[in-house]
Amino acid sequence: MEEVDKILIHALRQVGTEVGENIERVGQFTSELIVEAVVRCIRVIDPGPGGVLPTTLPPGMSARFRVGMSLAQACQDIGYKGEIGYQTFLYSNEPEIRSLLMFLVEKLPRESSEASDQPTGKSAVLHRAIATVIKAQLAVSWVPLNCRLPLHGETQSRAASQKFSVHPLSLPYCNEGQKSLKEVKEYKRDILLPATAQSPSQTSMVSSMLEQHMADLSSTQEWDTEWKSQGLLYRLAPQEYRSRKLKRLRNRIKEQLRSVAMQSPESIYSVCRPSSELSDLLRAFRGPAPFDLILTKGTHFTHTQKFTFTEEATAVKSQVHSGRHSEGDTQLHQQEELALLQQQFQQLCSDIDQIAADMRHRSVTSTQVFDELKQRELENAKNQEDMQVKKTTLELLPDADNNLQKLQSQVETGASRVVNLASQWEKHRAPLIEELRRLKQICSSKDLESSTKLSEIKHLHEKICMATEDAKKKEESYKQLVTELESLPRDVSRSAYTQRILEIVGNINKQKEDITKILSDTKELQKEINNLTGKLDRTFAVTDELVFKDAKKDESVRKSYKYLAALQENCNQLIQTIEDTGTILREIRDLEEQVGIS
Amino acid sequence: MATTETQLMLSVGLIEKDVNGDTLWVWCYPSITAELRELLLRKCCLTQDGRDFHTFVFGQFSRTWYYISTVEVQEPTALKKVTHFSICVTAKDFNPEKYAALSRILCRMYIKHGSPVKMMEAYITVLTKGICQNDENGSFLIRDYDVRKAYLAGSVKDVVSQFGMETIILYTALMLKKRIVVHHPRIEALLEFTRVLPALTWHRKDWSILHPYVHLTDSELEDLKKCPGYIAGFVDPEVSNRSDLFDVFVNLPDSEITVSQGAKEAMAMGKLHKEIAHVIVQSAEDAERSDSQVIKDISIKTKEVLTSLFALVEECEDSKITLEVLKQHHFPPATENFLFHLAAAEQLLRI
Repeated sequence: MEEVDKILIHALRQVGTEVGENIERVGQFTSELIVEAVVRCIRVIDPGPGGVLPTTLPPGMSARFRVGMSLAQACQDIGYKGEIGYQTFLYSNEPEIRSLLMFLVEKLPRESSEASDQPTGKSAVLHRAIATVIKAQLAVSWVPLNCRLPLHGETQSRAASQKFSVHPLSLPYCNEGQKSLKEVKEYKRDILLPATAQSPSQTSMVSSMLEQHMADLSSTQEWDTEWKSQGLLYRLAPQEYRSRKLKRLRNRIKEQLRSVAMQSPESIYSVCRPSSELSDLLRAFRGPAPFDLILTKGTHFTHTQKFTFTEEATAVKSQVHSGRHSEGDTQLHQQEELALLQQQFQQLCSDIDQIAADMRHRSVTSTQVFDELKQRELENAKNQEDMQVKKTTLELLPDADNNLQKLQSQVETGASRVVNLASQWEKHRAPLIEELRRLKQICSSKDLESSTKLSEIKHLHEKICMATEDAKKKEESYKQLVTELESLPRDVSRSAYTQRILEIVGNINKQKEDITKILSDTKELQKEINNLTGKLDRTFAVTDELVFKDAKKDESVRKSYKYLAALQENCNQLIQTIEDTGTILREIRDLEEQVGIS
Repeated sequence: MATTETQLMLSVGLIEKDVNGDTLWVWCYPSITAELRELLLRKCCLTQDGRDFHTFVFGQFSRTWYYISTVEVQEPTALKKVTHFSICVTAKDFNPEKYAALSRILCRMYIKHGSPVKMMEAYITVLTKGICQNDENGSFLIRDYDVRKAYLAGSVKDVVSQFGMETIILYTALMLKKRIVVHHPRIEALLEFTRVLPALTWHRKDWSILHPYVHLTDSELEDLKKCPGYIAGFVDPEVSNRSDLFDVFVNLPDSEITVSQGAKEAMAMGKLHKEIAHVIVQSAEDAERSDSQVIKDISIKTKEVLTSLFALVEECEDSKITLEVLKQHHFPPATENFLFHLAAAEQLLRI
């Protein structure tokens, strides 16, 4: 019992109950302590209802009664099967309390002890240290420039904060399978600075390394996930998969560029055109709106319109100006200028028109020339062929009939030879194609197998991931537990506990054996009793009948019958009394147990 | 004549699709370049994931006409493990009927005997003698299939009934040797429509501008761009975005004709065009007249226009016309523009 109590008290202390140092047995718990312990346990097990219950007993009797009832209800909700009511808490007795507390402590979730501790792994320690330093720095209040102490220098002076500037690093990777030139290797070996010296300033070195590392890490991770999820399905080597992906992306880019490039020239005059970034970029490449586009669209009339409007605007402006200066010669001067400009403009317009017409003419003639060229080429080819045929025919012409016959026979022999060759080839080809088809069939039937294997591989990959994560976590917790163990006091030896536990377990086993033996003995006895009672009843019945038969005639037999009946009666009474005594003894024992006399 | 005609056939090839779903090139005689083989695999409907089955398609690539007949193999047959096969015949001339008949005979031979040797024998007899035994107790004679019949096989009346007065746009584009692109999701409709368009310019009898079945691949588009003017048929609806490929775009299912921006100036139409359009529509709507008569009517009208142009050209030195000469005659601007471009198309313009 002591050990049980110690364990209970330890568990209750962990949950948060303030059990005094001197309390060693459950019997020493006061009602308040019992209530507090039970409520805290319930709060951990089941936060919902637990939050409502108070940890202290209120003073009033009815209130205490109510609290007791609610506590009992809560315990029963959790699943306590024993008899429980308000009296358990207000008028407590040790065995009941012990069993209740044991039940509650067992119900407590296992990890509560771990969760309540702060993790003390190495990285967690580092994190906490960083957090505390940053908190401290943030807590320092801002001070104006003149009053700054060195304490503030780290966080408040402008020199302290540095921009996250990244400088690209060139690292000498050796790609397996890719032969780099000798010069490149030499450069990497002799001339390339080490990574720490490559950035222009000390501050950017850290950020550059972080950036480089991040980029590498994220690219490999992305490649990993992509390969494991999609890449395996294609059943290609990684290189092939990569090159295919590259081709696919390039095609897409080409299509996009083409579609945007198509749009822009056509819609060059629409005002509210939805301009995408890509079309803006392409336009930047092309340069500002070219002059000739203004020429090809619109007629001469609209151009003059545009220009006359601008002219009028300038004319109006010049008129406004002239109002300020003296009238006479400035007006004349301006009119002269105007006439000159208009003449120039007319000249330019006609030039432009002529050039435009010229260009149109040239394009048409160039198509004509191109067409002619093509036709001539084709005619040439055809004529050459015809010439060949006619030449050979001419050579054969002198001896026409003979040659004709010879030609015919040649053609026939040639044809038959070709057919012969074809049949020979067919002899070779047919089995080959059969073989190909058969192998392809086998291949496709193996496809199913390979796809199952692929899914298995995927599963394995996932399992590997999970297992590595698990292993990491377990290592961390192992480290943390090791540090905890080292920090624990060494006075209490664990082996003593284990010894005692084993002893107790042995005792309990022995007791169990004894109990089973006693139970079996009891069963045997009960069986015997039943047997004997049955026998007795049967014997009495037979005797009774026998004697009763003779009792009608004989006096002595009647007397003996009466004695027999009395004997039976008395013995039954005796047995009854013994049984009652047994029952009463049992009741006494039970009551004694309840009251607490052990 | 038979000899020059048989020189027109270039090769015969056999493509099979087997039970594994693979489409393989299994036989060709005499030889077909790898590029052409790849092209024919693409055109043959067996590679298109069993969507539609086209019994007969034809097209042009690089001045070679190809004709593909596809057959589904029915049990019982000497061919094991083959579900479908196509026979491709390449030739230099345009004559779909002739080659359809020939490839049908070859297909039947192949199914019956299960070996390409017999098929080849038939091909060689046609090649050398111009005749081949048909297994229906007839014979296939090359001279039965005149090229004129092929030219006239399409129906101009259908074209005119679908587009009405807009047929004049097609007529103008063809006369001026512009680039026409036709789109229809079904290849048979595309072939039927495009093969009749060159008949509108009957005086040229040039069917080499016809590319009825083109895919949007680089090699085919390269080949297409070598021709200054063409009629190209596409099954892929993406082609409507490729305005670099056409001057006139015909959306066949919706019966819409669009002229691209760049060509609008050259294709400006006026009174002359309206006249011609009337002639075309009237002739086509007349139920009494057959297709060939309609084509004849159109060609008569074309001849009128050409004779007037030639008359103008005669007046000039070295029989080449210039824009100034045209301007002197004070035609209305649309007619003048048309005659100018027509002169360029007929190679009458002075450079």
